[in-house]
Amino acid sequence: MNKVTENLRKTAAKLLQDKEVEMVIGYGLGSEAVRTQPVFITSPEDTEKLVWNSFCVNGLTKYLSDLKTHPGKLAIVVKGCDSRGIFRLTQDNIIPRDKIVVIGIPCAGQLSYTKLASKIDVSGQLNDVEEKGDDVVIKTTKGDFTVKKSEALLDKCNTCEHHNPVVADHVVGDAINASPTTDSYDEIKKYEAMSTEEKAKFWLSQFERCIRCYACRNTCPGCTCRECIFDAIKPDWVGKEIDVSENELFHLTRAFHLAGRCVDCGECDRVCPMDIPIRLLNKKLLKECKELFNMETPGSVEEGGSVIGQYRLEDPEEFM
Amino acid sequence: MKRLLEYVGYDPGRFNARWISGSEGQKWADTTKDMTEKLKALGPNKRFSK
Repeated sequence: MNKVTENLRKTAAKLLQDKEVEMVIGYGLGSEAVRTQPVFITSPEDTEKLVWNSFCVNGLTKYLSDLKTHPGKLAIVVKGCDSRGIFRLTQDNIIPRDKIVVIGIPCAGQLSYTKLASKIDVSGQLNDVEEKGDDVVIKTTKGDFTVKKSEALLDKCNTCEHHNPVVADHVVGDAINASPTTDSYDEIKKYEAMSTEEKAKFWLSQFERCIRCYACRNTCPGCTCRECIFDAIKPDWVGKEIDVSENELFHLTRAFHLAGRCVDCGECDRVCPMDIPIRLLNKKLLKECKELFNMETPGSVEEGGSVIGQYRLEDPEEFM
Repeated sequence: MKRLLEYVGYDPGRFNARWISGSEGQKWADTTKDMTEKLKALGPNKRFSK
């Protein structure tokens, strides 16, 4: 067991023992070696189920929105990227800040299930993960596997802005001293450079595959409307059938509703069962908002609002 | 919005946003004329149809 897990369990047990919180939302071992699953701990004894390793990819902040009426306070485990979701929820008045106890864990980057599953046998249970220089040794009940960390890292972790959580009431683990990477949006620029026909072909082939499961919406800390436009039947804003033009309308509307609000956690991309690169839409809008309004990544600071909800005299007025 | 539409492959001429005051009749007429001509040249948008 690693030190962070040990300290995490201690912190969680103390919070529950002192009755400071009613529930701790964190990561537990999953059904396969390189997966974890969300766990909801309500008694100090159960904190043994909590773990921290390189496979804690899920963002848990959306559960705060689902559990906002749960009695008492909620403690939640966050990484740097998810921690921006906390401020998204508090800025949107979804849950008051004093109802949440944030357990922040500095994160050096998470490993991708998809990348690992093609390299190693993931069907066993995880015993331990050890980092040796550039390699990661994954010890499972089906044997030990050594993989290069750079080959298994999630794509989003290569351009991580906040290794250390932007908000934490309790920090578990040592702060990471990596200088923040500024995303140059090279990937977005590549898609921007395509011709109109190429873009249309690429995006229609993506939208065509959407099965309208709404997993991207459900996992998003910015998608918290009580009545969602995509669920509404009267009026029927967006058709419910799976059809490329309705799917496109869904994806463009969803992306636009998050313009200037998306915290860039990348969960939409991860949860999509059809591997639609949803984050490319959000990142495009993030890039534009940063360039036009000189905005920082939403959720980086406690105060502030969305650029679309604010007016400043110096706002660009291209449409005049 | 315009940038997003261009990003997913719409012709830049398809979507226009202009601020026109109620007293700017000539600007309104010129803008709509200009847009209509451009749109006629582009032909119907087949993407949001069944």
